[in-house]
Amino acid sequence: MTVDVTSRTYMITGPEPELWYRDLISCLQATFGSLLARAGADPLEVLGAGWRFLHLPGDVRSEEFYYPCPPGESQGADLGAALAPHHELHARWWQPADENDVWREVRETLAEDRLVIAAVDNFHLPFRPAYGDVHAAHLVVIYGLDETRGVVYVSDAMPPAFRGAVPIEEFLRSWGSANPNDVQDAFFSDARIGRRCLDVRLGARPAPLTPELLGGYLRTDTDGFTTATSARTGLAGYDEFAAELLDRCRAQDAGALRELYPFGWGMQAQASLHGELLRRCGHQWDDPALAGAGRAVEAVAHAWTGLRFTGAHGLADPRAAAPDIAHHATVLRGAYARAVDAVGAAAARL
Amino acid sequence: MTGISVSSARTGLCDPVDISGHRNNTAISAATETKAGEFNVWGNSFAAEYLPAGGSLVHVDGVPFEFPPVCDGPDNVRCAGQYIRVPEGRYDWIHVLAASERRCEESVELNFADGTVDAEPLRVSDFWAAPAWFGEVKAFESLVMHYPHHVQRGIPAVMWAQRVPVTRRARLTGILLPRNVAVHVFAVTLQRTEP
Repeated sequence: MTVDVTSRTYMITGPEPELWYRDLISCLQATFGSLLARAGADPLEVLGAGWRFLHLPGDVRSEEFYYPCPPGESQGADLGAALAPHHELHARWWQPADENDVWREVRETLAEDRLVIAAVDNFHLPFRPAYGDVHAAHLVVIYGLDETRGVVYVSDAMPPAFRGAVPIEEFLRSWGSANPNDVQDAFFSDARIGRRCLDVRLGARPAPLTPELLGGYLRTDTDGFTTATSARTGLAGYDEFAAELLDRCRAQDAGALRELYPFGWGMQAQASLHGELLRRCGHQWDDPALAGAGRAVEAVAHAWTGLRFTGAHGLADPRAAAPDIAHHATVLRGAYARAVDAVGAAAARL
Repeated sequence: MTGISVSSARTGLCDPVDISGHRNNTAISAATETKAGEFNVWGNSFAAEYLPAGGSLVHVDGVPFEFPPVCDGPDNVRCAGQYIRVPEGRYDWIHVLAASERRCEESVELNFADGTVDAEPLRVSDFWAAPAWFGEVKAFESLVMHYPHHVQRGIPAVMWAQRVPVTRRARLTGILLPRNVAVHVFAVTLQRTEP
């Protein structure tokens, strides 16, 4: 790999970005994982350290990478802090300031040897299965730009994984897409891409994960689950979310199910990573109770499948889907309760 | 005892179950008619050319399964609480060929002749380019994914061989499937208790 060959060529130093992937995560965690790995951090330790429930009514966007960000934290929405509340990870959306030079900020970031996460519409990206077929909002990592050859270098860990050059013109169509409403994908279309990008920064390099450190994270998070707040957080927040979801389904409000799929993906992905981290630590530290707590959190992730997919299949008739939505919301609530209990017990011993 | 003889012994204890009356979904399609498949809400499906012939007897890890029809109507049971009656008998394992629209943990309810009912776990990994998270055996893999309008290389679709324990020492009469549209069952085989 070359470094700044000409003034019109920008490429990160070192190897191409790692394709970091798990089957329950979305492009959001996958792209952050690539950046964290390049920063020398273990993506699972950072992205799996925190576990929360947060639903922000009216905030859900039809994008694969939607994730609820607590308002007011760090002077506004900080996606990094929401994804990794126990680490100094920060991320903010930006858009090109100059319509006549939309690559300026990308060049500057690459020149600093930093990766860019960019929002795209799969419809216009040749390596995505939806190419020329389905509009859907997605995230990719930009790791190089060669304006002489007319290509942008893109990395995408989501299947089918891709790493390589994309013609600039095609990328621009994807990056600037209106991402119009598409009946083939009700969950990730109808959200303007608007050349959005994420500026992601990892402050201090994460300290080695110890039982004491993890125990502190877990105690904070279990408190978050068991302490009622004015926002929809924790188990009480889940109950509010589930009750409203059911009411909206009974009122034949398809919007409730359109929102459920992207919102639930964020919660499912987070639970899967947290559970995997706890299970791994429990195994490494010979702590079966911690490993079991991790497995209980993974069961939360698995229970989200039932709720999300019942909603997806029930989109055409939410009222008819309501009894099964109620069933899966109850199953998921039970999984949350068991996992919070198990994590709390494990944390008390760390 | 060698692996082969263990498999042979297990095969002799296994009886495929007829689930044809419950099939309600088409998850396998021909390359010339990918729209016919609708495994998930996006209309993805397994590619028929990578799978066994419809109605054939296939063996996975020594367990015989009756493979469903291929490109000839519904080929799997999308779980919606169907009740599968089985030949009454003592069994140790329920083997299934299954796939899930995402990694999923569910339970089936086992009904016994003496009126008892036990819930047992049915855990199925994602069909979409995913590992066997629950330790299943990869039974069949379509090396391409069918979309309604094209055939996609680089994304395999996987059908898993999973098993459910029958812990109660009683005569099984039926299996109540979960209410979960994400879980698809393609075949069921019962493994009898050794005499």
